Amino acid sequence: MEKLLKELQHADLHGQTRRHFLQSAGFGLGALGLGSLLGSCSNSNAETGVAAEAMGAKIPQFAPKAKRVIYIHMAGAPSQLELFDYKPELEKYHGKDCPAEFLEGKKFAFIQGVPKMLGPQGKFNQYGQSGAWMSDYIPYLQTVADEITFIKSMHTDQFNHAPAQLLLHTGSARLGRPSLGAWSVYGLGSENQNLPGFIVLASGGRQPDAGKSVYGSGFLPSVYQGVQCRTGGDPVLYVTDPNGMNRNMRKQTIEAINEINKQTYDDVKDPEILTRISQYEMAFRMQMSVPEVMDVSREPQFILDMYGVKPGEGTFAMNCLLARKLVENDVRFVQLFDWGWDGHGTTAGDNVEGGLRNKCRLSDKPVAALIQDLKMRGLLDETLIIWGAEFGRTPMQENRNGVVMPYMGRDHHLEAFTMWMAGGGVKKGYTHGETDELGYYGVKDRVHVHDLQATILHLMGFDHEKFTYPFQGRNFRLTDTEGKVVKNIIA
Amino acid sequence: MLILLQASDWTYFIGRFHPVLVHLPIGFLLIAGLLEIGRRTGKISVNDSTITFILFWSAVGATLACIAGYLLSLGGGYDEELLSDHKWKGIGVAVFAWIAWLFKSGKISVGSAVYLPALGLSTLLTFTAGHDGGSLTHGDGYLTQYTPEPFRSIAGIPPRTEEKTEMKPITDINQAVVYKDIVQPILEMRCVQCHNANKQKGGLRMDNLAMLLKGGEDGPVFVSGKALESAMIKRCLLPETDDDHMPPKGKPQLSESQITLLSWWIEQGVSADKKVSDLKISEQVKPALASLTSGSEGKNAQQVDSPVLSLQVPVPNEKSVAAIKKAGLIVMPISHDKNLLEVSAVNASGFGDGQINLFSPLSEQIIWLKLGGTKVTDAATKEIGKLKNLNKLHLEYTAVTDEGLTSLKDLQYLEYINLVGTKITDAGLKNLASSKSLKNIYIWKSAVTENGVAEVQKLHPDLHIVNGFNEAKVAEFLKAGDTNTKEEKPRIQ
Repeated sequence: MEKLLKELQHADLHGQTRRHFLQSAGFGLGALGLGSLLGSCSNSNAETGVAAEAMGAKIPQFAPKAKRVIYIHMAGAPSQLELFDYKPELEKYHGKDCPAEFLEGKKFAFIQGVPKMLGPQGKFNQYGQSGAWMSDYIPYLQTVADEITFIKSMHTDQFNHAPAQLLLHTGSARLGRPSLGAWSVYGLGSENQNLPGFIVLASGGRQPDAGKSVYGSGFLPSVYQGVQCRTGGDPVLYVTDPNGMNRNMRKQTIEAINEINKQTYDDVKDPEILTRISQYEMAFRMQMSVPEVMDVSREPQFILDMYGVKPGEGTFAMNCLLARKLVENDVRFVQLFDWGWDGHGTTAGDNVEGGLRNKCRLSDKPVAALIQDLKMRGLLDETLIIWGAEFGRTPMQENRNGVVMPYMGRDHHLEAFTMWMAGGGVKKGYTHGETDELGYYGVKDRVHVHDLQATILHLMGFDHEKFTYPFQGRNFRLTDTEGKVVKNIIA
Repeated sequence: MLILLQASDWTYFIGRFHPVLVHLPIGFLLIAGLLEIGRRTGKISVNDSTITFILFWSAVGATLACIAGYLLSLGGGYDEELLSDHKWKGIGVAVFAWIAWLFKSGKISVGSAVYLPALGLSTLLTFTAGHDGGSLTHGDGYLTQYTPEPFRSIAGIPPRTEEKTEMKPITDINQAVVYKDIVQPILEMRCVQCHNANKQKGGLRMDNLAMLLKGGEDGPVFVSGKALESAMIKRCLLPETDDDHMPPKGKPQLSESQITLLSWWIEQGVSADKKVSDLKISEQVKPALASLTSGSEGKNAQQVDSPVLSLQVPVPNEKSVAAIKKAGLIVMPISHDKNLLEVSAVNASGFGDGQINLFSPLSEQIIWLKLGGTKVTDAATKEIGKLKNLNKLHLEYTAVTDEGLTSLKDLQYLEYINLVGTKITDAGLKNLASSKSLKNIYIWKSAVTENGVAEVQKLHPDLHIVNGFNEAKVAEFLKAGDTNTKEEKPRIQ
């Protein structure tokens, strides 16, 4: 090891010429003077170690109602009209031409010309004391109706998957902003020192359309980005020790690497190096903690049955169970993505009838089980579950290229969709907002995705208008210049 | 210098010194004036150069105070009119101080013909500028607010009225007169301070209906039946940073439901004597009206919060906090604006009874305590019972038993207790349930039986006792999906 360090120093000295010396000496002295002059009014804290401070628990602006979040994103966007937003009137218009006022000046991802209206495919009924409307697609969720707040009047600005996902998770439809999870960990840090504060689990065979940016850290230091764990096999690749290397050797290696990184940091002061150092340390601790927390084999059989999980499977159900285990270990933000909800009606799997029923069959039970499981462990009080997608689906049947699709399908819809939340400071058994008779527009208490973000931050103890990060000359916030807390859904 | 004219940290930094600097010329000028009087009346003997020297520093001080004052004003948030008066008077002080010095020092020799008026004016302006400054900082009328009678009447100051900051709860909302019981109290709280008989900003009075209907300089303040076209509502809805926004930036603002209520009253025709039940009540107005009955108007957000959150406790002792941290626990204020603490042993599963005394010095501050999965036993609960403001307590998967719980039931703020995976029994639950504050008890995987829960539930119907699933209950849960178990073959149209 020492040999390696010496070699590095040697190489470094080779690179130093007289010119370098004079340059750095001159600049260095000047900077020293300037530094001491400005030291007292400088806001920069890169010096004190972003990374070292980054992951410890931090204090919110006001007392939080939700200490942890499980965000379940159904990528592709399930149809609210088949699951939650019951529109008997739409049934009457089934097969009729769409009224002109729904089409004038509107843009759709695929619908062209005049599409036909498509009646609800599910059988609806009211459930729980609260009388929440749900369809027979989701029989398990019906059993926990009274734990949930539904927002039926969600709306967004984007009708394509990737930008809509970005808008939902980062507050902007363009790349480069930190995600909700990153903001949460930036604001609140992580309580469990052996696990990342922001963990991402994906299922459904594909990543979300907007890629890693939906759980990225944007301009925040990269320690705050979501750490994706695999659900089958090794949860995090390359975190286990290779054969022949024991934990002690691994420890020494990481210490040596960090020492070198520290020296480079002292030279160039790039805060990303600190991130790297802390990530190495975290990875080392994760060698022990991650396999343990991700191992479901010690869960009792009835819990596995409740979620519908078989050990070793990388399914959405497994991710729900893991999400519970992670929040049980005080992980701050668990982001679940499940791909395959884009029911256009183009294929047998991609429609709002059988295809959507099948997706629900795989996800309904584990989501309901997650709510039950958190509740009986006394965790639901402080854990906020958010369920939803990047947008909704049209009350019209999709007619891509003017042709009726072979299966029942709906196009992307930004004017109205349903999301729900449970636990962590939201009302139990409550429905917020309403859509019109055909489920096209929100007509009461519309909630924009920025309003949702403001509300989530509020529940976590932050005023979204004052929770900012300075970048390129101005303060940025998750909700940018928009967003209003939806007070009515707060318990 | 140019840089300083733009608002930056530096301008505010220097600006904040205005109140410090401003007292120098005040003191100096008064001394110069007094010495001059003393000299001229022959009471004392002062050298001219002494007064010249004092005048020079008066002028310098006044100039610096002017500069700092200008920088301070860039921050905004002051009454424009008053600020302008204050500014020019302040500049006057500096100018006349320089003139007085110039003539006194003999640099220009015209003698006392100019010198004395200049000194006099400068001193006089010091008083008035100072008074304006005080009004800017503390608010108009601060000086005379508590003038006692009979001086009050002599000086023509109107009798003191109680400042209204909160609305009294309305007992029977349907019988409440909309204008008298809802609208006027809101106006009193937020508007009348600047729009009354004595002070009529924009020529508008809002202290009674007749005057309100008359409007101000810019005409009527509302259009009956059209809230959104009414200036009064429009101004409230403007962004707070807008110059036309009302109430002005920095003053207490109208809440959303207050605006809703005012709009509703305008929409419904600005009636003077109609009751709530006489008007059409929309869905939007309902919650706003409801908030009036509970007296929670304006503080809705806190209404459902636990009372423990409004406790004021001393700043926690740093050494005690450090000692707990050293034991591997997380200790943090629950939020930036509070001294209340949250303590978690998530990273310290070895924490045990021996260390429980670490909490004693913070018995007032600790309200949320997470000791789940640690080695604490009944011996520790005695100490935990002394954390008198404890609100949430996690003891899941510990060796705590019924006996230990007896030390906890007198905690008057305890609302949440997690006893999952402990050995507590029906008797322990029953005993614990007598606590008046408890709302949620979690007893899954303990020795508590279903019958035990049912019995306690009967005695305390509001208590939320949460048990969990066992094999039988999971089997029941799984039945919910019986209709949905086989894979669907989507049909082709």
